Amino acid sequence: MRSAVPSPSLPARWRAAPGGRRVLIVAALCLLAAIALNPIFVSPFLVVLGRTLFVGMALLLAFTGVGRWRQPWLPRWLAQVLVVALVAPLATFVVYLLSVGGDVVALLRHEGMLLGVLAISSTTLVGGLVMALGALYRERDAQARADGLQFALEKSTLERQALGARLSLLHAQIEPHFLFNTLANVQALVESGSDRAAPVLRHLIAYLRAAMPRLNDAEATLATELQLVRAYLELMHLRMPDRLQFSIALEPGLEGLRFPTMALLTLVENAVSHGIDPSEEGGRIEVGGRRDASSGVVTLWVADTGVGLAETAAPGTGLANLRARLQAFYGPGTSLDLHEVAPHGLRAGLSFAPPEALP
Amino acid sequence: MTPPPTALIADDEPLLRESLCRQLARLWPELQVVAEARNGREAVELFDLHAPQVVFLDVHMPGLNGIEAARGIARRAQIVFVTAYEQYAVQAFEHGAIDYLVKPVDEARLADTVARLQGRLARAAEPLPGTEAVLESLADELRRRAAPRAHLQWIKASVGQSVRLIPVEQVAYLRSDEKYTLVAWDGGEALIRKTIRELADDLDPDRFAQVHRSVIVNLHRVTQVTRNLNETADLHLAGRSEVLPVSRSFLHLFRQM
Repeated sequence: MRSAVPSPSLPARWRAAPGGRRVLIVAALCLLAAIALNPIFVSPFLVVLGRTLFVGMALLLAFTGVGRWRQPWLPRWLAQVLVVALVAPLATFVVYLLSVGGDVVALLRHEGMLLGVLAISSTTLVGGLVMALGALYRERDAQARADGLQFALEKSTLERQALGARLSLLHAQIEPHFLFNTLANVQALVESGSDRAAPVLRHLIAYLRAAMPRLNDAEATLATELQLVRAYLELMHLRMPDRLQFSIALEPGLEGLRFPTMALLTLVENAVSHGIDPSEEGGRIEVGGRRDASSGVVTLWVADTGVGLAETAAPGTGLANLRARLQAFYGPGTSLDLHEVAPHGLRAGLSFAPPEALP
Repeated sequence: MTPPPTALIADDEPLLRESLCRQLARLWPELQVVAEARNGREAVELFDLHAPQVVFLDVHMPGLNGIEAARGIARRAQIVFVTAYEQYAVQAFEHGAIDYLVKPVDEARLADTVARLQGRLARAAEPLPGTEAVLESLADELRRRAAPRAHLQWIKASVGQSVRLIPVEQVAYLRSDEKYTLVAWDGGEALIRKTIRELADDLDPDRFAQVHRSVIVNLHRVTQVTRNLNETADLHLAGRSEVLPVSRSFLHLFRQM
């Protein structure tokens, strides 16, 4: 028998033998059958009851046993029904054979006994089949309920994840370490009278404006996201000109797509802080995007030639949050995967089917 | 006449090295910046080469960080740390009375630091004796923060031409398949070279359990345990049609409490 386990920490409920309830029901049915058959039998009532009970329990055991047996040939329900149909006459024959001491010839010659075999086997056959079908129906019903609960659980988990991801957007976006280091660079440019100070301040303002907490993704597009990514990368390039090179190349026509704000930036920030920044040599970051002409699926990627990711590197909440947000935004077909870049580095790719792209 | 004091500046951001140089030139014209380092390793190398009396070390640098570099320099120079926002480091510096500057560097604060350094150099003072213990605990703290997790967080699997990084929480189960191990995860299936035995050692035991000689399962995915008559069991996983075997020696994992 199957039993649903609410969580893996709870052990399953074991049922080695048929459940006690089923044994009682079968016993009661056998009693009814014995009472119904008693008038046409010469044998005493208890003998008839014994025979029906024997056959009934044999049927129950066969039904349960076949249900547990994992065989590749037949669907489980069909095997269970077939075994009931087969065991009903067989068990009846066996119980009569026992009463004549195993003498098959004597049994076949005894008209009254043959009649008994026929009566009990046909009664138990009909009763057994009805019971088997009933039990199977109830099992299927329970399975459907369990599936329904599982589905509801998964749905609520997804909703909770998406909400958590949106709430995390409201928390501080701007890392103080990033902000103060960038401001120190701006100060250095201003002090030295560099004409780069003004454009750098513009990048910083663009970045800060985009990174302010917000709830609504409604008007954000891929174009605004790429402006944010460019502003961030320009600032980082200013800070580590010898260690960070970058390029941004987006296939034309994608700029107007609705896009959840900070989604691509999260991947770019990861590439800088986990790929480029820990490396003495630094590396290159490539941001790109294209749309598959036939399927309309959009793929965006952030590839770096930094130090790469160790198998034991903490995954952080950023990626899980991002995955949940993207799925809430574009639907369950969205994917976010990481690949290694040879000889070292990481490529994060996300693909989704934007609603606008549907034919 | 004493030779002019010398200094080394270590910061991975060139504009900030230049800026500190300029500020020091205004506040302490005699100080000669004899070397500039781009990371902790260079800082230690250049220190050994030039033996400056004062070292300005950025805490956050690639490779060897500022704290580790300072331990390499040990008690041979006056050290001033420079940090953007390492709160824990600032607390430790305060606690250990270690010189530090926060970025962007405030000129008045730098002037105080310069005065203190000049006083110590004039007295030929040893660096503070408590410094090393503070640096050691800070280095431990930094290592702890950067330390990888004890267990596998990613499974690297070759998929076509590239190596894919699969987050372990997306893995449903792993099953040995002759020479390889099959990884079944939310995005499909892949073969990896690690053996079930290696994986059993490396995966987080709170999430993954070996249930058969050739099977490791993500316990968070188990929905049903079906016991068989011969002291084995079958596992059913959320969202998957496969049924995984539990062998007798692993059955205790699913026994009733």
